[in-house]
Order: sequence, then structure tokens, then C-alpha cells
Amino acid sequence: MMASYHPLVKRLLDGEVSLAELPPELQAEGEEALRLVGAADRAPVALSPALEERVMTAVRSHAASPGNRAWRWLNTPREVELRLRVRPWTVWAGALAAAAGLALLLVGRPASGPGPGSEARGGTRDSVFVRFVLYAPGARRVAVAGTFNQWDRSAAPLVPAGTSGVWTTTLALPVGQHQYAFVVDGARWVVDPAAPAVDDGFGRRNSVVAVTAQGAQL
Amino acid sequence: MRTIGLALTLVLGSTLTGALSAQDVRAQLDGRVSPEVQRAVRGIAADAAARGLPVDPLVQKAIEGAAKGVPADRVIAAVRTLAGRLGEAREAVRAGGVAAPSGDVVEGGADALNAGISPRQVSDLVRVSQPPQDPALTLRVAATLAALGVPPKQALELVQGMISAGRSPSDLLGLPGQVQAGVGRGATPAQAAAGLARAAGGTPPGRIPDWVPPGQRRPRNPHKP
Amino acid sequence: MGVPLGFEGEATDAEVVRAVLAGDVERYAVLVRRYRDRYARYASRMLGSRDVAEDAVQDALVRAFDRLADCREPDKFAGWLFLILRNRCYAERRRRQRQERPLDSTDEMFAAPDRPDGAYEQVERAHALERALQHLTPEQREVFVLKHMEGLAYEEIAGVTGATVASLKMRMHRAYDRLRELMKEHL
Repeated sequence: MMASYHPLVKRLLDGEVSLAELPPELQAEGEEALRLVGAADRAPVALSPALEERVMTAVRSHAASPGNRAWRWLNTPREVELRLRVRPWTVWAGALAAAAGLALLLVGRPASGPGPGSEARGGTRDSVFVRFVLYAPGARRVAVAGTFNQWDRSAAPLVPAGTSGVWTTTLALPVGQHQYAFVVDGARWVVDPAAPAVDDGFGRRNSVVAVTAQGAQL
Repeated sequence: MRTIGLALTLVLGSTLTGALSAQDVRAQLDGRVSPEVQRAVRGIAADAAARGLPVDPLVQKAIEGAAKGVPADRVIAAVRTLAGRLGEAREAVRAGGVAAPSGDVVEGGADALNAGISPRQVSDLVRVSQPPQDPALTLRVAATLAALGVPPKQALELVQGMISAGRSPSDLLGLPGQVQAGVGRGATPAQAAAGLARAAGGTPPGRIPDWVPPGQRRPRNPHKP
Repeated sequence: MGVPLGFEGEATDAEVVRAVLAGDVERYAVLVRRYRDRYARYASRMLGSRDVAEDAVQDALVRAFDRLADCREPDKFAGWLFLILRNRCYAERRRRQRQERPLDSTDEMFAAPDRPDGAYEQVERAHALERALQHLTPEQREVFVLKHMEGLAYEEIAGVTGATVASLKMRMHRAYDRLRELMKEHL
């Protein structure tokens, strides 16, 4: 049974001291220990070239089969952050520089029970969690209003996420297409330039999101 | 949340029944719009309902205008314009071979018209949107692509190309995101769409189209009236 | 002609993750190509066999796709993938123990790289270390592999494994002693 390495030798192996710093009586032990870890094979390992195709074959089949893993993927309510370009632009001249950057996020499905109209269009009565994010560092209040909440400015307030100027909220949206916009400080309607925008009929624009069983598409 | 539950009911209500009742319209508008707007919109909505057009988008538009602080006369004008567009959309959808379209398809058509797609293009797209494709979905995808800045002609070509190639509805739903990704890499929307259209050509490996190409079967209304 | 799409050299991990989540499944191949070999060495050493490691890496990449919606920080995809692989390696270990299937003999595992000076002892020592590693506990093996093969600092290993630096050092020091015992003929 070999003796344990001296603590100083272990520190040598950890890289905390050098061989020269060891006392003479530990030099031999130190050199032996370095031979031990020096034997570690650091050569990169290459896996078979066919690996990529095997992975993509599995990935394609998972993506295409809704009853299978993709469904499991969607069924657990989780949050994913899809951060689109954040572009600061001044909404009101001379006033706060409200950076309007929207990231529209797919989250999973809420564990929802039976709802009204369960025969509608292939049983798509479910909702999908969607997380809204707005970068508005100068704002005092932020809300999201749209067709899913009757354009009610107080129905869906966002809350600050930390001190970075990011505001966020998560809503359960029914499957279908929705229009929406952010309301900053109760009065300023803000759209994301990076999301599809449609004419709102009043001379402004609304952002559009299509919520499907697969998630939110902008 | 009660509000969301209500919105859900509204969305489904219009899908299933195609129209809100007069009571529903009043209940929706009460307290949300001025009396003047409410009177006018109820009239426009009743007229639309009588013509078999979906009423919910009109109600939503009025509520939206009020929430945004738009003056009453502009709200009423916008609702009237929308009603007209819904009528146009229904004509275009009918011309595409769907005799009695559901509210959903008509709304999809109106979205497309709003995004700059012509009535003729709406008809063409409806015509090729045979099962498993749903014209409500294909119209909305085309409308969203146009809203992203893809020229209407190209948006149509891209969607029709995907349909011809036997792509699934979910593949189509992914198109706006892919165009956006292309734009994020520096392409113009038109370039991004063109790239996707090239890639879409041809049946994806292993998948055989399970539908009959247009023209080989009598067009029929795929939706319940 | 237009901008060539799918020019993957420029896309960051976060951009690719977003594209995949938006429906562009084929783009996932970019991440597969990028990371297929990055953790191969770690998996091989942890599992003692390159074939088993290949299964683990393949499985981890597919699992990462399945759970891509859970990746909270898409620009940290690499680290997140590593955690999935790590769990997979530990699970594989437990599975083999339950089935009483010993890991493949490490003799067939790696062709030791040809050392320029052809030193026989060094090659033998390398083989001996590979075999000896398989006799450590998984935790000891991992800290040794991460520090001496992957070059991570103790703080970084702590971040990956969730253990404290102090406990990692304790494991490592026990590993040193155990390895010394196992390799005594070759030192």
C-alpha cells in the first residue's frame, strides 16, 4: 500500500506551488506525481462522422411527431427567452429615450382543464404561455394591451426584471392570431419594429403574434 | 384571469358561431366606448351580421380605438372601413371556390387585404389551400409575411410554393419566423423570402404529399358554414 | 441573387437557438456540428469507452433539441448542453451498475497518440492512467478529467458541478492517492 502524497505535493498537482518551491526531500515525490498527471491524454477525441446525421434524423422525427416528444416538450410549462434585436429609439422628442425592444417568448402550456367550445378547430381550445419583454429603461409603468385582453391598459402590467430596464410579464394566450402593443407610462403606445406590424386603422401600427400549438410565431 | 377567459370566449365564440349576438355586442362595448361610438358600432355590426360577416373584429376595433384615445369619429370610420374590408374579403374568398366561408377565413382574408394583398391574390391563395391546408391559416401567414415587408407577390409565391411542395401547415406557420431570421442576418424581406422559396421547392425527403393537387378535384368548401 | 441564407459561419449560438425555436429545425445541425466533438473527450473519459461516449453525445444532442425551450440563456447553449451530457454520463454509469455490466475494457478504447519520441513507457503510462480512472468514483474521475484534461480551474468546476471548491479539492486529493496506488508499476 503506497503512502499518500504529501499535502505539498498535492498542492503541486493542483498548480498552487511549483516543483522548485518544494523542499529537497519532496522533489522525487513531486516529480513522480507530475509524471502521473502528465500521463493524462489530452488529445481531442473525434467521434464518428455519421453522428451528425443520426442526430438530425432523430431531431427531424421528433419535430414532426406532435404526439411524441415535441408534445412533451410543449406540455411542461417552462420559459424561454427569445430576445430579438433591442433597438433604442426616441419615441417622444426630447423626452425619455424609450428603448422599444420586444422579445416575444414561447413558454409551455398551462395545465388547463376543459374549456368552452372544445370542438373548435381540432380541439385547439388550449392556451399557450407567452412571455412579453420590453426594454424601456426610462419607463415608470409598462403594460401590454391587445386583442387578447380587450386592449385594457391595466389588465396586463409588466414588472421590472432587475434593474436593467427590462420589463416582463407572462400571459396565457389562446391559440390564434393576436394584435397588441405596449403602453408605456399609461399613454405612450409602443410597437416593436422587429416584429410584424400591421396598420391599426387609426394611423398607427400594432404588433402581431400568431400563437399555435407549436408556440408563438412572430 | 377573468379578462383572458373572456377574450378566449370571444375568440372561440366568433369561430364557432360566426357572429356575436346583439346582446353580446352591447355587453362588450358598455363602459369601454363612448355612447356615440357604441350607437354607431352597434349599427355597423348589425348590418354586418345580417350580411353574414363576422362581427367580433368590428367590436375589437372599436374597443381598441377607445383604449388608444382615438377621437370618436375616427373610431367609427375605422370600424366602417373594416366592415367594408370584411365584405371584400368574403367576396374574394368566394371567388376562390369557398362558397360559404367561416368567419375565420373571412378574417384571414381581411388581414391579407389589410397587409396589401390584392383580392385577386386572396382568391388565388384560397384556391390552392386545399386540405390539409386551411385557407384561414394560409391567408394569415401570407398577411404576416406581407406585414414583415415581403412584397405581396413574393409572399404569395412563397406560401403557394410551400403548399405545392407538400409542406405541412406547421411548416407554413414557421415562415414568418424564418423570414425574420433572414432579415436578422442582413437580408431584405424579399431576399429572405426568395431564399426560402428556393429551398422549399421539391418534396422534403421521406414525406409524400397526402393531398390532391388543385384542379384534380372539384373545389369544395372545406369549412362548416 | 440575394443573401445566401443558412450561412452558418456567422450565426451565434443564440441566433441559431432562436431560429430553431421559431420552427427552422434544420438549423439545429449548426449546433450539432459545432459541439459534436467538443465534449467527446470528457464523455470518453467519464465513460471509459469512445463508443459509449458517442451514444451519450448523440443522445445529449437530441435531448438538448427536445428541451430547447428550456434553455434559459440561448447564448449559453454550450454550457447547457454540457450539463445535459453530464447528466447523461452519470445516468449511463448508474444504468451499467444496475445491469452489472462493466464498462468496456479500456484496452480497446484509444489508440494512444504516437509520441514523437516513441517512448514506450509514456504510452504505457497513459494506458494505465485511463484504466485507473475507471476505478475512481464518478465524482473523483470527473474532477480529475475536468481539471487535468479539460483544463478547468476549481472555481469553474464548482460552477459546473455545484460542489464547493473545498469539497472538490478533497475529492481530487483522494483521487491522487488512489491513482498513485493503481499506477504504482508505471510511475
